[in-house]
Amino acid sequence: MQVNVKIKRFNPEADKRPYWAEYQLEARPTDRVLDVLNEIKWEMDGSLSYRRSCAHGICGSDAMLINGVNRLACKILVKDLGADIRVEPIRGLTVQKDLIVDMEPFFDAYKAVLPFFINDDPAPAAERYQSPEDREIFDDTTKCILCAACTTSCPVFWTNGRYLGPAAIVNAHRFIFDSRDQGADERLQVLNQPNGLWRCRTAYNCTEACPRDIPITKVIEEVKRELLWRRA
Amino acid sequence: MYRGREGQWAFVLHRLSGVALALYLLLHVLDISLVMYGPEGPFNAFLAFYHQWPFRVGLLMVIVAVIYHAFNGLRIIIMDFTDWGVKVQGPLWYGVLAVTAVIGIPVLWKILPEIFGGA
Repeated sequence: MQVNVKIKRFNPEADKRPYWAEYQLEARPTDRVLDVLNEIKWEMDGSLSYRRSCAHGICGSDAMLINGVNRLACKILVKDLGADIRVEPIRGLTVQKDLIVDMEPFFDAYKAVLPFFINDDPAPAAERYQSPEDREIFDDTTKCILCAACTTSCPVFWTNGRYLGPAAIVNAHRFIFDSRDQGADERLQVLNQPNGLWRCRTAYNCTEACPRDIPITKVIEEVKRELLWRRA
Repeated sequence: MYRGREGQWAFVLHRLSGVALALYLLLHVLDISLVMYGPEGPFNAFLAFYHQWPFRVGLLMVIVAVIYHAFNGLRIIIMDFTDWGVKVQGPLWYGVLAVTAVIGIPVLWKILPEIFGGA
């Protein structure tokens, strides 16, 4: 089928402001948007820039704003979008070139919540046992691939880039509710800051955007309640 | 425009109605406080000024904003404190809109004639 692809492009060395570039090409309905972008870059215009790595929805490189919604270019099919496809860089982060944004502020927020196992007790001889029930509590939040589709779909993040954002809270949840971990207090202290957890206004864009189907708003509410009951 | 779903529009309307009501409240308090200057003071003049039809339409919007903001506030409380609230947030929002309409339409019925009929 013939597809009409509009891409919001920007080269800071040449352009004053972003502009829409249009490409017409043949694509199969089962092609992914990433295949279409590859076709454009490899056959039509080599200057088009975007990130991709694994191309199978697990590395989290190619989150883009496609037809008005954040998604992974490697997971959305042409047949699900129709003949008109609009691709923009994800919002709220500085565009470096075309679809490539500066991810550093996103990763800074991620690092701020101490996203690693904290337990200073000496390791037991066998294992740090965790029951299947205890593991289940944070199962959803182990699935995050740090693609930033959630954080950059958040209206609060668009207007306040210092908000930690849903991805950081999801990764805090991963450890706060881990029965073997002892760093919950430190993490909750970080999340209790003015630009932390309480900036969430439950717009649900993050939940809709997550390519890993993490119920993000639900887990953010769980962390909010944990913080509330601990303070009370 | 980001193509968000129910949650996004619930948030946008909640913020807009919230800011509008905060501004209205400020104006309202200033206005009512003019009473302290007595019957010869500016209070009555302002009251007459606010009886013009654009302000009556504004009053209608204030009422609708109060109803929406109040009931969506309840929706947010349910989402904040229960897991099921998060699951049914979409239908809950349609419920909020329905309640806003159910209460708002009789208000419209009462106020519309006043807007166009004077009174």
